[in-house]
Amino acid sequence: MKSKNRLLLLLFMLAGSLALCLSLDAQQAMPSDALLLRTYNASREISLVGAVVKYETSSAVPPMGAHATIQTASGQVDVHLGNAKVLEADHFTLNAGDSVRIVGEPMALGEGTYFAARIVQKGTQAVAVRNAKGFPLSPASTLTPAQKEALRGVR
Amino acid sequence: MRRLLTAAVAAASLWAAACSPGHPAITPPPPSGNYTLASLSGQYAFISNGEVFTNGSSFPVPLVRVGSFTADGAGHITGGVEDVNTAGSVTNAVPITGGSYTVHPDGRGVLDLAFGQNTLEFGIVLTSTSDGLMIDETSTSSQASTGSGNFTKQDTASFAISTIAGSYVFDFAGLDGDTQSACPCPESLIGQFTVANGVVNPGFFDDNDDGTLTSNASFTGTLSTDPLSPQEPITNSGRGIALIAGQNFVFYIVDASRVRFISTNLGMLSGDAVRQNSNFPLDVSGITGSFAFLVAGSSANGGLTRVGRFTAGNSNLSNLLVDVNDAGNEVQFNNLSNASITSYDGNTGRGTLSFSNGATTTFSFVFYLSSANDGVIQEVSGPSGTNTAIVVADGSILSQSGSPFTSSNVTGPYAMNWSGLVTSNNFQDEEDLLAQVTLTNLNLSGTADFFQFTSSTLTPLFDLGVGGSITIAGDGTSSASGQQNSMTVNLSNTAPIHMAVYMVNPQLAFFANRDNNGAQRIVAGILKAQQ
Repeated sequence: MKSKNRLLLLLFMLAGSLALCLSLDAQQAMPSDALLLRTYNASREISLVGAVVKYETSSAVPPMGAHATIQTASGQVDVHLGNAKVLEADHFTLNAGDSVRIVGEPMALGEGTYFAARIVQKGTQAVAVRNAKGFPLSPASTLTPAQKEALRGVR
Repeated sequence: MRRLLTAAVAAASLWAAACSPGHPAITPPPPSGNYTLASLSGQYAFISNGEVFTNGSSFPVPLVRVGSFTADGAGHITGGVEDVNTAGSVTNAVPITGGSYTVHPDGRGVLDLAFGQNTLEFGIVLTSTSDGLMIDETSTSSQASTGSGNFTKQDTASFAISTIAGSYVFDFAGLDGDTQSACPCPESLIGQFTVANGVVNPGFFDDNDDGTLTSNASFTGTLSTDPLSPQEPITNSGRGIALIAGQNFVFYIVDASRVRFISTNLGMLSGDAVRQNSNFPLDVSGITGSFAFLVAGSSANGGLTRVGRFTAGNSNLSNLLVDVNDAGNEVQFNNLSNASITSYDGNTGRGTLSFSNGATTTFSFVFYLSSANDGVIQEVSGPSGTNTAIVVADGSILSQSGSPFTSSNVTGPYAMNWSGLVTSNNFQDEEDLLAQVTLTNLNLSGTADFFQFTSSTLTPLFDLGVGGSITIAGDGTSSASGQQNSMTVNLSNTAPIHMAVYMVNPQLAFFANRDNNGAQRIVAGILKAQQ
């Protein structure tokens, strides 16, 4: 039953939000699910498909880092893409109008919610911006073995 | 002259990044104090954690360096050695071939360490003739590196494996060595070991590797001389190698009570091991009084800091105050509940504690005490019974003393250092600040070096004027609503930066930014009195 509630919650978020406006009342009514939303769990991941409305390498809105506003069939979603330099290191660019698929899940931060991206895909190029535990990646995660080897000798 | 030119170029190019028109310029005060070149004399073990841009790279990678340098008391570096770990790529036993340093009367200075044709530059602030704080300010055509750290005078008489004897508490933080998934990922490894003649047995550790917890596991290990670096015998610089909790390290002996570690396989960890002293609590009743703590790390949202305090007694925790910065979302908690020390082992100094924020979140921690007054602490908050954590963060816990904190005892010259992330120039990246400030009637006046790795030119700002003030709303050890202490730091031509401050004692304070005024930040640091 609990998992059904969580599923409903996720569906609610997917529908009402995909604008991701989980109400404060809902958080207070379902504390366990509020906690759930503060925990990244790969088993809850969903795919978001839409078009980029706006992309910022940094945003004044937390979480710190890159954000994209994605227009989906159900509305606009604020997607957190972690460290913009990870995308840059992979030569991955986002521009308004780009069609994208994003794998991730809704997360709560403070009294708001956002969509935490783990994988961003445009065309045939996909880039991981979070690891499977949900922690945002650093550009170091994109290093090739040869690039790592070249770091020997740094003073 | 070079620094002047660099500063001028940097000031111009960084205007958009670090400066906010409309905020006043602050003229640095003339340096005053009693420090001289002779104040830095002898061998010092140093550690610096940060990032590096190598030539041709389009992005920075994490870097930690641990080593030893020798200062002659007259402005010359006469030798030394360092070990460097760059995102898991290790360079061992790099000889320091020379260098130079300056020391102003206020304890500020520049430390240049030469490695053949290459030179690393650090800004330093002495906190005594035995120690100081430093930031990496290297900005050359081949390398730009930043990072915060410190240096501590070594007891050369302790440069032997046999002097590392007894029980030690350690905190090693950084990145794991996972090469299978999208990593390196954050890791915190804390614990306690007993060692005699290089044999570690037993040892205990708590590991939070990318949110996967290993709790109170036992290990055996070794400390020994390094057969692969015969040119650096332990008698030279206190350098040796160790196997701790299944990971390889290089260590530098500071003295018999402190050893400094850097990992050399399975990732990028670093930190100190501190000998447990005779007054460390044998049972939970010995954990009593006021404590301040600071942890920093990562959550699924991004960077994370928690700075706070509590009163301990009979396993209960009361008067909790915590300031949290989770990825730029800052919250102050002063109504925490269900707070207690949930376990404590008097054999190892290991304990657990937790507190709740209403019904939604329980904050859980593991700690190891090295005395009744200090220890290391690791956050393990997460769904109960899953051995997983939603954050990876660790830091220090210290007993509070010397209250009430007032303008009468929080006064005089201090070194100030913070490190973390900042958003500027449309990117997030590392920010490090090192300053010397004088506190008079809780007003700050001093001079800072400031390195934002978001700058397009990758150059630090030197000799910025610092102003601001500390507001002590309560005595710093009570929890009544509104008792949080705060600090405003004004940097020349920059929007005020607002910090939450927790006094450990009149000579030491933890702080972390409490809002995003001027720029989005996740930084934490210390204010430490100069002797």
